[in-house]
Amino acid sequence: MLKIENLHVEVGGKPILKGIDLEIEAGQVHAIMGPNGSGKSTLAYVLAGREGYEVTEGRVLYKGKNLLEMAPELRAAEGLFLGFQYPVPIPGVSNIYFLKAALNAIRKHRGEPPLDAIDFMKLSKEKAALVQLPDELTKRSVNDGFSGGEKKRNEIFQMAMLEPSLAVLDETDSGLDIDALKVVAAGVNSLRSPERALLVITHYQRLLDYIVPDVVHVLMEGRIVRTGDKDLAKQLEKEGYNEVRDAPQP
Amino acid sequence: MTDTSRQTLLRSLPSSFDTGPQWLRALRVRAADVLREQGLPTKKTETWRFTPVRSLVDGEFSLTEGAVPSIESSLPEGVTARSLRQVLQSEPELLKGRLDLGGAPTDFAALNTALFSDGLWIDVSAGAVVEAPIELVHAVPDSAQPGVVYPRVLVTVGDAAEVMLIETYAGKEAGQLTNSVVELDLARNAKMSHVRVHRNAGLQVGRVDVRQEQDSVYRSTVVTLGGALLRLDVRCLLQGTGAESELNGAYLVEGQEHVDHHTRVEHQAPRCRSQQTYRGIVSGKGTAVFDGIVIVHRDAQKTEAHQENRNLLLSDTATVHTKPHLQIDADDVICSHGATVGSLDEDQSFYLRARGIPEDLARAMLTYAFLESVVDRVSHEPTRARLSEAVLAQIPRADDIRDLT
Repeated sequence: MLKIENLHVEVGGKPILKGIDLEIEAGQVHAIMGPNGSGKSTLAYVLAGREGYEVTEGRVLYKGKNLLEMAPELRAAEGLFLGFQYPVPIPGVSNIYFLKAALNAIRKHRGEPPLDAIDFMKLSKEKAALVQLPDELTKRSVNDGFSGGEKKRNEIFQMAMLEPSLAVLDETDSGLDIDALKVVAAGVNSLRSPERALLVITHYQRLLDYIVPDVVHVLMEGRIVRTGDKDLAKQLEKEGYNEVRDAPQP
Repeated sequence: MTDTSRQTLLRSLPSSFDTGPQWLRALRVRAADVLREQGLPTKKTETWRFTPVRSLVDGEFSLTEGAVPSIESSLPEGVTARSLRQVLQSEPELLKGRLDLGGAPTDFAALNTALFSDGLWIDVSAGAVVEAPIELVHAVPDSAQPGVVYPRVLVTVGDAAEVMLIETYAGKEAGQLTNSVVELDLARNAKMSHVRVHRNAGLQVGRVDVRQEQDSVYRSTVVTLGGALLRLDVRCLLQGTGAESELNGAYLVEGQEHVDHHTRVEHQAPRCRSQQTYRGIVSGKGTAVFDGIVIVHRDAQKTEAHQENRNLLLSDTATVHTKPHLQIDADDVICSHGATVGSLDEDQSFYLRARGIPEDLARAMLTYAFLESVVDRVSHEPTRARLSEAVLAQIPRADDIRDLT
């Protein structure tokens, strides 16, 4: 599904990612953990195609295609989804009409006809229920005046609507209390499937109690310093990043 | 501007006025005297610094008859509409003191005052609550000759009456100048909603003077969709305690167009409120000017006045001049003002694109949303929908956006 090879990325001339190798297969859930400033969000943004990130070396293959030369909208149309750490408020653009534009653009890319208004509303009701997003929020301006928890639920609602092949979730747990975290995690888990891959980026192990990963990577100073199974996350929580990095590989 | 072209319009001023009631003749003489003394504005005139007066007065204009706007709706009960000329002939005392609501006129408004030959007087009787909007269309008459028209509209709204006025100004090619004056007189507790649309309005210079008595409410929404050169001054005199003004504006300027909105809100009485929200999008080599002033007189305590102008620049060659300002002589007031000039928010654009929305559609959606927030303040739903559609029609990928809403 996704193959990252020796990826080097600079922001404003400063190296942030210094040779990332990562391979994710369909059906898998990978987690990337790392301290602040390790390059986690940079990786997420580079995958989604945000401007301002210069790839100086390496490549990224997505479904066998060169991901890095695609425009952000093409990546989305090809089934890549980024769950934003800080979802952007867009006053004046209603959530539901934004999603309709997105879904129909993606359907068009797949050669499918646009959903009619009735089917769209039905789908949106069903998916909003998945993350307990109140109907009223689906009609409000995108992320405008949403609480932290509402923004994150809105991200997962969008993911459920767009049914991506690969979802990159950037710190989806930040700013959530435990109840909201459970709702969001349940929403994500309901979207796990053999055809879909997830890359979950997080600072804390807590989220991984609810979204249990197949593979855990530790990212520090722009490199993946350890890779293991879900127990690695628990070890990190107990011992801290530096100890895990410096410990001998098992 | 050459001296000859500057004089073109002034030359059309007669030396004496011999028709109409005495008070009107005096008013016209005063206006003509002001013009002869001060001339028309030049680029050195502070309030015309950014707008090329030359384009308005260049060329040989002749006075065109037939500037009375047409009424596009049937008149509801409690509303009368009469020709100014006829009323001035038959019952001139009804209009005394009502054709200079904004005080002594200057520059283009003075020219209108001196020269208008006819116009419309709409009266809404006290207590009448009129739900259907009254709609006026100002169109430049078909004429091959370059011409100037002087539309003149007076609306008097009686005590506790409620009314909505929609005006549309549609222009012609350059060479046709519309110099309009609209006066609105709101009695106690009157409520007026005023929508004014400029659609490819050619050469326009306009003045709206509003006088408000106690607890009256005036809501204005100006939507300017193009215009070779347009200058509009909206002025509110809050003369009665507790009166309220809301001035909204949305403008879309492209190509070589030049659009200039001036507002002036004078708080003369205590406990009045005013809110101004003007937003514009400028692209191509277009120029937009916003100059708004709030004046709070010494006795106007407990005033609340807010003013905001936001602009989106969509090209490197577009220009915006914005100057919101306050002049406060009272000490117990809440006032704020602010202006921004920027480009489309890249974070918003990326968010939309990251969900699969093509870049051009993402930009169009954000552009539309920016102006729609002004149009949204119109509470009369059919009018709001019409204005939205008028704005949308000017935006790229309008069909795709229309499908979504």
